Amino acid sequence: MNKKKKSIFISIIGDEKRQSFTIPVLAILIGLIVGGIIIAITGSNPFKAYYNILQGCGLAKKPSYGGKKGMITDFMEFVNYVTPMILAALSFAVSMKAGLFNIGISGQMMAAGFISTILVGYSELNAFVARPLVVLIGFIVGALVGGLVGYLKYQFNINEVVSTIMINYIFRYIITFFINTYYVDPVSRQSVLINPSARLSLLKVRVGDYKMTIPLGFIVAILAVVIIYILMEKTKTGFEIKAVGLSRNAAKYSGINVGKNIILAMVISGGLAGLAGVTYHLGYVGSIQPNTLISTGFDSIAVSLLGNNNPFGIILSSFFISGLDAGSTYMTSSSGVEFEIAKVISGVILVFSACSSYIKLIVNRKRDEIVAANTVKEERS
Amino acid sequence: MSTIILNGLAFSLPLLAMALSGIFSERSGVTNLAVEGFQGFGAFCGAFIALVLQQSMKGSDVPYYVALIISFVGGALFALIHALMCIRFKANQVISGVVINIFAMALTAYFTKYLNLAVFGASSDKFVLNIAPKVFGLYTFEYIIVAVVAVAWFVMYKTTFGMYLRACGDNPQAVDAAGVNVAKIRYIAVSLGGGFAGLGGICYAYSISSNFSSNIYSGYGYLAIAALIFGNWNVMPTLFACFLFGFARSAGYQIVQIAELPSSYQDLIMILPYVLTLIMLIFFSKKTHAPRALGVSYDKGSR
Amino acid sequence: MSEYIVEMKNITKRFPGIVANSDVSISIKKGEIFALLGENGAGKSTLMSMLFGMYEPDEGEIYIRGEKVQITSPNKATELNIGMVHQHFKLVSNYTITENIIMGTEPVKKILGIPVVDIKRANEEVAELSKKYGLDVNPTDVISDIPVSTQQRVEILKMLYREAEILIFDEPTAVLTPQEINSLLDIIRGLRDGGKTIILITHKLDEIKQVADRCAILNRGKLIDILDVKDTPTKTMANLMVGREVSFTVDKSPANFGEEVLKVQNVTVINQNKLKLVEDASFTIHKGEIFAIAGVSGNGQVEIADAIAGTIPISSGNIYLKGKDITKESIKNRVESGIAYIPEDRHNCGLIMDFSLAEDLILKKHHKHPYSDKKGFLNASEISNHANLLIEREDIRSGQGEKTIVRSMSGGNQQKAIIAREIELNADLIIFVQPTRGLDIGAIENIRKKIIAERDAGKAILLISLELDEIMNCADTIAVIYNGKIQNIAPTHTLSVNEVGEYMMGVGHNE
Repeated sequence: MNKKKKSIFISIIGDEKRQSFTIPVLAILIGLIVGGIIIAITGSNPFKAYYNILQGCGLAKKPSYGGKKGMITDFMEFVNYVTPMILAALSFAVSMKAGLFNIGISGQMMAAGFISTILVGYSELNAFVARPLVVLIGFIVGALVGGLVGYLKYQFNINEVVSTIMINYIFRYIITFFINTYYVDPVSRQSVLINPSARLSLLKVRVGDYKMTIPLGFIVAILAVVIIYILMEKTKTGFEIKAVGLSRNAAKYSGINVGKNIILAMVISGGLAGLAGVTYHLGYVGSIQPNTLISTGFDSIAVSLLGNNNPFGIILSSFFISGLDAGSTYMTSSSGVEFEIAKVISGVILVFSACSSYIKLIVNRKRDEIVAANTVKEERS
Repeated sequence: MSTIILNGLAFSLPLLAMALSGIFSERSGVTNLAVEGFQGFGAFCGAFIALVLQQSMKGSDVPYYVALIISFVGGALFALIHALMCIRFKANQVISGVVINIFAMALTAYFTKYLNLAVFGASSDKFVLNIAPKVFGLYTFEYIIVAVVAVAWFVMYKTTFGMYLRACGDNPQAVDAAGVNVAKIRYIAVSLGGGFAGLGGICYAYSISSNFSSNIYSGYGYLAIAALIFGNWNVMPTLFACFLFGFARSAGYQIVQIAELPSSYQDLIMILPYVLTLIMLIFFSKKTHAPRALGVSYDKGSR
Repeated sequence: MSEYIVEMKNITKRFPGIVANSDVSISIKKGEIFALLGENGAGKSTLMSMLFGMYEPDEGEIYIRGEKVQITSPNKATELNIGMVHQHFKLVSNYTITENIIMGTEPVKKILGIPVVDIKRANEEVAELSKKYGLDVNPTDVISDIPVSTQQRVEILKMLYREAEILIFDEPTAVLTPQEINSLLDIIRGLRDGGKTIILITHKLDEIKQVADRCAILNRGKLIDILDVKDTPTKTMANLMVGREVSFTVDKSPANFGEEVLKVQNVTVINQNKLKLVEDASFTIHKGEIFAIAGVSGNGQVEIADAIAGTIPISSGNIYLKGKDITKESIKNRVESGIAYIPEDRHNCGLIMDFSLAEDLILKKHHKHPYSDKKGFLNASEISNHANLLIEREDIRSGQGEKTIVRSMSGGNQQKAIIAREIELNADLIIFVQPTRGLDIGAIENIRKKIIAERDAGKAILLISLELDEIMNCADTIAVIYNGKIQNIAPTHTLSVNEVGEYMMGVGHNE
């Protein structure tokens, strides 16, 4: 890159504030370009493929729709799909604020989904009782697991990355055992579908001419985003969690109870993961697949990163990354491009955004140099 | 009894190869949660080559041996991405590991389908492999892994390179002061680790299902991480941990069969390694020593 | 060939914001002990880092044995037979002494063409080397099991193993006890007598007096003078070092002690390694009193401050604040009951570097009215007003006012921010640890005045400093700590600098 181009690049990336927006956008562009090249090389039209993805998400009109279906039904389905991702990414963002890595979101999701399923999903409870109860139990189960991780960290100094991985697999196998032993549906090889009255997604609701999915979980997710934003930015609890996350030592010297805040942050993070779990297992899917840690739990880490660990940024990044996924099935049927390409594109985006701190470092250094050079010029003239 | 030992070995040894991946990387100071991705990508490369060769060499074992080598190479090359992100771009190493896993799954899933269609004209999401050859009841890859681990142990603890590698994980400043390039050592360590993982991955592909598909990502990379933590980041204790995990698994499966319990009881046994590791961390957290410089990117300028 | 083995000519080195060395020229003879004297931040370490290839000078030339050289890396320095013992040792903690010494230049035997460390030979070589130079070590001991003084010997052996002729020691005595210092100085003399050239970076005059042949004095990046040590009185060197007459006259009104605020009773602090850092310390501080603890770095003074603030546990003893036993109180409760604390390490303990200035300024009272309401919500406008008030009153300079990320501020302004925050707590006891470290003269004066003003406002002050000058200037009462034990407590006017210095070295006599 020559000097002039370099400085244009730097001015586009902008200052710290703008970088939180420009760098993810850059990452996304690069991902789309790389994906486009792969699609083109494998003999399809990338623009058509990307347009298909939009169509699949209900963001653009398909040429034809089946009975009682339309853009809006596709979009609602998409929202239903995004919901757990928003909550899971929010869960990771909260742990990050406290300087912790919650790698155990998948396990926490599975545990929350499982407990809610057997306690409420298989009960005959009235929907008005069952649904709030599912949300409540989901949060509590996740929070307990998160709290355990925080406690292990605080009491025994066990790295949360390690403990969450262990707990992920412990849950995976225990829950698999119980599902296969007691709750398996012999046809689908998954847990028996829950009762519709407990389900957080209302299926086939007639609205006007359409039959669509109403994702009640999305309301939970949006509420969670707003609450977490307020908690982190507007309250002393958030202030303390952030202080602990940025410098455990300085927080301690300031009289902030580090252990309490670590556990609290993990309780919140786990609770959000629990909500992600119930919106996934008791919302989007309606059952639990044994022996599988769902990828949302890991994808959400990168989604949170792409959204700068900012609650509102996370909504955008969740919609984007999940959108690639949600629209990719239609792309396959319409353009013949394998739907796995969506994951490749998000993979490239995530790899790139994982390096974002380096880009920031370089850009800021260059900007300082340019500023310094300009001041020297000014002084001389 | 012999079934337990045979199955136990067939499971333990590839797991050990993967654990070795983590040991090499982490002892050099680079956190490695990407074992899962390395093994999958390595296995993908090996399985593809094997499939290509199988077309022309029916019944030969050559594709299998070539696959082992290519898996090592593929894993090693793929691991360079992780190394690059952690060392050059100073990405957070935990996040890099997670992202690498996602990326590996995405790439291999896409290209397995694509290559099946484009090269073999088959619409399939798996590469179906030949049966791996056995000698004295053991897969030949088991002997190869034993040899590889022996060499790796020797490199780690006896050679100059191994001395630098372990020093990088404890105090990179000291290595730098001794005139050795820390970044270079770490690149090599992470890459070699990727190779070991790739080798472990293709062995599972052969032994567990005789094919390559996305099922390869069933968490053995993370089990390997549990093993290396249990083994305190040292090769011999990790070998013990892998045998413990492997034999517990095969013995458990055997008991389930003999007792005529439903197969779902097998899943309960798989909890054991993780519970053991957690318990060990709780009770011996003072005695477990992660490398001191683990996860910290080394900046030459800082003193 | 030149008579000088090392010549550094007109060296200038700039870092962003400061000129670390400005046109410095020194020449060092073979076989002498050459000292670099100067206060913290005078540019001694930077100068030697360039000789050792860790930085390259912006201007100027370096000659080794009369030949002009470019020392681009420590490797290059090693090739030129230059070795350096850094202030922070560069040792691999889980390796043996031998492994640490040989790493990078280890004896190798080939097995099947693979280079294998010949550890047996290496152990022999190290044993031999240690015998030759009288540096007693056991080659197979692991670093994490040996004391600091032995680790330092390992660092010295590391240089000797690489056949270094020019040996640079960066503040080698900072981590040692007096006995260990004596034995190190003996070693250094022995090395010189064996023909090595020694460069000693230090700010301790007595060491220079004891071992050095010549001494270069640096002050704020500039070379002040090069002196023959034996012809120069200590006092002259001291004055040159600080760049002005060291005045021991006090510019403050007489103290007016009030009631007792802090009482420390038989406090002992033991660390994880069962080492006694503070042993049986007892003292009291009154309203209107500046009580200073003098001592060489690492003698337990920081631990006393930490113990009072509650950031480390004490093993035995009691701490009373205004008559109330606070020994078991949490840090937060101690803050509430009236302790303000300016810790030594402002980056790690004093400030949250990635917080905004406004956020850092409300630490410790962020949970209280008016910054938080009863429901736990922060009051943004109060926080902002508070920040602007302090910024204006204390002249805290920053790029973007209250919104500035603290990390981007200069050290002096960061320190201003901490001090402003702590004083604003209006606590009865204010603990200052090294409040002026690394600051320029103007800032130092300012902070010292502020300390005295707080005393005059009726606060009890605990001042812990390594700068004797600062202690003599500010304190009303001086306690001297050595090896974790308080040696002596007396009013400042009854003590001479020399007496305090002797107690600091553990050689004072108790009466």
